[in-house]
Amino acid sequence: MKRVALVILGLSFSCSTAWSDQLADIKSRGVLTCGVFGDLVPLGYQDPKTRSIVGLDVDVCAAIAEDLGVKLDLKTVSVDARIPSLETGRIDLMTASLAYTPVRAKQIDFSSAYMNVPVSVLVKKDSGIKSFADLAGKKVSANRGSTSEVFARQKLTNSEVVSFDNGPASYLALAQDKVQGMAMVKSAAVGFHNRSSGQTAFLDEALFWEHDCVGVKKGEPALLAAVNTSLDKLESSGRLQTIWDRWYGQSNEYQLPREKKVTPASEFE
Amino acid sequence: MTEILSQYGLLLLVGQFPDGPIGGLALTLLMSVAALLLAFPVAVAVAIARTSPIPAIRRAAAFYVTAVRGIPLLLIIFWAFFVLPLVTGVTSSPEITVICALVVYEGAYLGEAIRAALEALPKGQTDASRSLGMSYTATLRKVILPQALFNCLPSMMNQFVLIVKNTSLAYIIGAQEVTFSANSINAQLLTRPFEVYFILAAIYFILCYSLSRLSRVVENRVLRKRSRVTNQPITETPSLARVPS
Amino acid sequence: MNLHSLAVLADPNVQLLFLRGTLTTLELFFASAIAAYALGALLVVIRMSGWLPSAAVGAFVEYHRNVPSIVQIFVWYFGVPQILPQSWHTYANAHLSAFFFAVVALSLNAAAYISEDLRSGIRAVPTGQMEAARALGMSYLKAMRWVVVSQAVRGAAPALVNQALGLLKTTSLALAIGVKELMYVARQLDGETYATFPSYLTPTLIYLACTLTLMAIGSRVQQSTRFTR
Repeated sequence: MKRVALVILGLSFSCSTAWSDQLADIKSRGVLTCGVFGDLVPLGYQDPKTRSIVGLDVDVCAAIAEDLGVKLDLKTVSVDARIPSLETGRIDLMTASLAYTPVRAKQIDFSSAYMNVPVSVLVKKDSGIKSFADLAGKKVSANRGSTSEVFARQKLTNSEVVSFDNGPASYLALAQDKVQGMAMVKSAAVGFHNRSSGQTAFLDEALFWEHDCVGVKKGEPALLAAVNTSLDKLESSGRLQTIWDRWYGQSNEYQLPREKKVTPASEFE
Repeated sequence: MTEILSQYGLLLLVGQFPDGPIGGLALTLLMSVAALLLAFPVAVAVAIARTSPIPAIRRAAAFYVTAVRGIPLLLIIFWAFFVLPLVTGVTSSPEITVICALVVYEGAYLGEAIRAALEALPKGQTDASRSLGMSYTATLRKVILPQALFNCLPSMMNQFVLIVKNTSLAYIIGAQEVTFSANSINAQLLTRPFEVYFILAAIYFILCYSLSRLSRVVENRVLRKRSRVTNQPITETPSLARVPS
Repeated sequence: MNLHSLAVLADPNVQLLFLRGTLTTLELFFASAIAAYALGALLVVIRMSGWLPSAAVGAFVEYHRNVPSIVQIFVWYFGVPQILPQSWHTYANAHLSAFFFAVVALSLNAAAYISEDLRSGIRAVPTGQMEAARALGMSYLKAMRWVVVSQAVRGAAPALVNQALGLLKTTSLALAIGVKELMYVARQLDGETYATFPSYLTPTLIYLACTLTLMAIGSRVQQSTRFTR
C-alpha cells in the first residue's frame, strides 16, 4: 500500500515537472515574481521616504509584467542568491543587474540585454592614476560575487583585487584610500562618483561591456520568448528609453547617456 | 547624527514595513525570537540524548554538538543558503535560512546549557523517582526537566543575547535586518560610516545590555528560589542539602 | 547537484588558493590570540589595581560583549579611521591593512571575554589562600604570583581554551572587510566557478581539523589542571 502511494507520488511529481510551463503557471497565477536588489541605487533600492523598493530594474520588470497582463510581486535577493533562486523556482524572472557570462549561461537562460553598460574603474583624482597600467601593484575593490570582480581579476593581473559584500563598502574602501581603484559597472559607480564632490574620476578604458539581461530558469523556452518579445515591444514603444531617462537621464544626478539599445543575446554570447 | 536618525530612523526600526516586507530592528527581533523558540525543543532533545542511557544516542548527539562547535556560524549559514538548495531542491528566503542555521547552531549550544543543568541535579532525584516506580520518561518529564529547565533560565537568556548578536550575519546573505539597514543607509550617505556604525552599535548595545541585565535579575531569582528550596532540608539533614551548581 | 564539481579541487591554483586562505586564517588567529591573552591579563591587573576606574574597564567589557563582532569589525575598519586626525588617517590608510584592523577588532573582542574568565578564576580562589600566604611571610606580589594566579589560571583554563576556539571561528567574519581568509577564498571560488559544494566543503573540513585540534588540547588541559581542593 505504502509502495503504491510512493509510486503514485513519484509519477505525479515527474509528470508535473515534465509538463509544467512556467509562463502558463505565471498567467494562471496572475502574478509574476521578480527578483531585484534591495540595496543598489538606482537599480533596486529602498526609497527612504516610502521605504518601498524602487529602481530601473524594478520598472523594467513591472513593464514586462504589465505586457504579460499579470501583477508584479517583488522579492529582494542578494548577489549570490540570484542564480539559486531562479533554479529552484522561488523567482520567475531575475532583473537584478544580472550580467551575461558564459559560466552563468550554463545554469540559467538569458534574455536580450535591456541595458548595456561598461564596467569602469573609478580612481581618486589626485592619485595620478590614468590607465590600467598605472594600477600595477595597487589594490582595486569590487563587489563580491559580481562580474566586475571576476573580470577585474582577469584583466588587472598586476593589481590586487579585494572584494567587499556590497557597493557602499567597496566605495568606502576607495574613499578612505584603502584601495586605489574601484571596479564597478559604470551605471552603479556613477552614483558614487557624483557624490564624491569631484574627488574621483573614471579611467577611460573599460574593463568590459556588461550586458544586463533578464534571467530565466533553464528549459522554459516559452517564458524566455515572451520576455524577449516584451523587451522588443518596450524598446519600439520608447518605454525602455523613458525608464532609462527616469533613472539615469539628464533629469537626475547621473546624466549617463544610453549608449546601446536592446541587444539580442546572440550578439554577445 | 540626529539628522541620520530622523531621516532613516524608521528604516532602522522596521525596514519597509508596512509598504513592504518587515525589516530593520523588528526583523532582527522576530528572527531572534523565532530561532530561540524553534531551537528550544531541539536543545532539550539534544540534552536528553547527551545524557541518555543508550550509548549510541549519546555518541550521535556528541558528534552533532562537536561538529557544530567546530564550525563557524557563518559557514553553517552558507551551507544552509548555497549548498542545501542544490542538494534538496528546496530553497527559502534569507530570513528563514538564517533562522534554520541558528536553530542548528543553538540546538548544540543551548543543548549543552540544558545538559549542564540536567547533570547538576543531584543523582538522588533520579534514583528516588525510579525507585518509586516511575518510568525513565516520567522521571524526566515530571522530576528532572522541570527543575533543570528552571535552573537554566539565566543561561537561556544569555543564549538569546547571543542569538540577537548572531542574526547580524544575516546581512551577508541579504536578509534586511538592522545591519542590512545600516548598510543601505551607508549606500545613500556614502561618506559617514562612523556615525552610521556608531548608531548601529548603540542599537545592539542597548538591546543586548538590557537583556543581559534582565538575565542577571532572573539569575538572582533562580538562585534565591533554589537556596530557599535547599535551605529547608539543611536544618534537618544537612548532608543531603548540597546542590552542586 | 553534480559531484563532478569536486574536480575543481584537483586544480593546483585552487589548492594554492585554499592554502593561502588557511594560512591567513591561522595568522589572524595567532596574532589576535597572542594580543587578546596579553590584553586580557592586563585588563585584570588594571581592574584589580585600580589604576583606572573599574567602571571604565567594565564599560570596555560590556561594549564588546553586547555588540556583534561583525559590527565591531566595521567600526574599526571603516569607522575609526574617519574620526582620526587627518595625518594619522592618511598614515593608517596607506600603511595599515584590513588584516591589521581585523586583528585589532578580534583581539579587543576576545580580550574582553578573557579578562572576565580570568577575573572569575581569581574570584574562585578563596581569600584565605591569600591571607595564609601573607601570614607565611610572602610579599603581596609573590603571594599573587605563586598562590592566587597559578590557581586562578588553572581554574579558568577550560574557559580560556574555549575563548581560543571562539576566536578561531570569529576570524571568519574578517571576509567582510576583504581579508583573504578561508571564507573569503571559499566565496571567491564559488563566485568564479559555481562549484558550490566543494567551495564550502573544503573550508568546513579545514575548520574542523583546526577546531578539533583545539578541543583536544582543551580536554588535555582540563585533565592536567583538574585538582582537588
